[in-house]
Amino acid sequence: MNAMLRFLSGRWTAILSASTWILTYFIARGLLESDQFSEGMRLVVALVPIIPFAIFLMSMLAGIRELDELHRRVHLEALAIAFPLTMLLLMVLGLVELVIPLSPDDWSYRHVWQFLPVFYFMGLALTWRRYQ
Amino acid sequence: MKNRLKVLRAERDWSQADLADKLNVSRQTVNAIETEKYDPSLPLAFKIAELFGKKIEEIFFPSEDH
Repeated sequence: MNAMLRFLSGRWTAILSASTWILTYFIARGLLESDQFSEGMRLVVALVPIIPFAIFLMSMLAGIRELDELHRRVHLEALAIAFPLTMLLLMVLGLVELVIPLSPDDWSYRHVWQFLPVFYFMGLALTWRRYQ
Repeated sequence: MKNRLKVLRAERDWSQADLADKLNVSRQTVNAIETEKYDPSLPLAFKIAELFGKKIEEIFFPSEDH
């Protein structure tokens, strides 16, 4: 029960901090797109999501350290899937861009990064299936 | 790697959750070891052996293809 409680506790802390970070990101993005601040202020707003992300990262690492060895392996294998998929996405986008100019309104960094957690969760789902 | 974990656990009338609690791991980990989908680390294997009062090789043994 202790291991499970620790696992759930770590998971909820990570989910809460991730939610805060994502909320901050979308607020910052909304403010930047509204174009109502000076350039210096806009730069500050653009950097604000770093703070909740740092908290999320620390809680994520603390949560991973609390996991048992199988769960840690699952996360490692999920990363081993997500990392090459990220490389593939960036490589393909780079090559496609040589053929068709990609619109920055659809394919800028602010759009592409959102694929990375999707790949990670895909990796988690695929890996978990192996051990269940 | 094969193991006798499920048999040993059943002999003591422990659930997977009971065993997981005693080993300080999750129930999924116990299940994955019992179903031989996951081989435990050496420290965890020693912990399991100690819990059941047996040697590691009395619980874990290589599968026939090794």
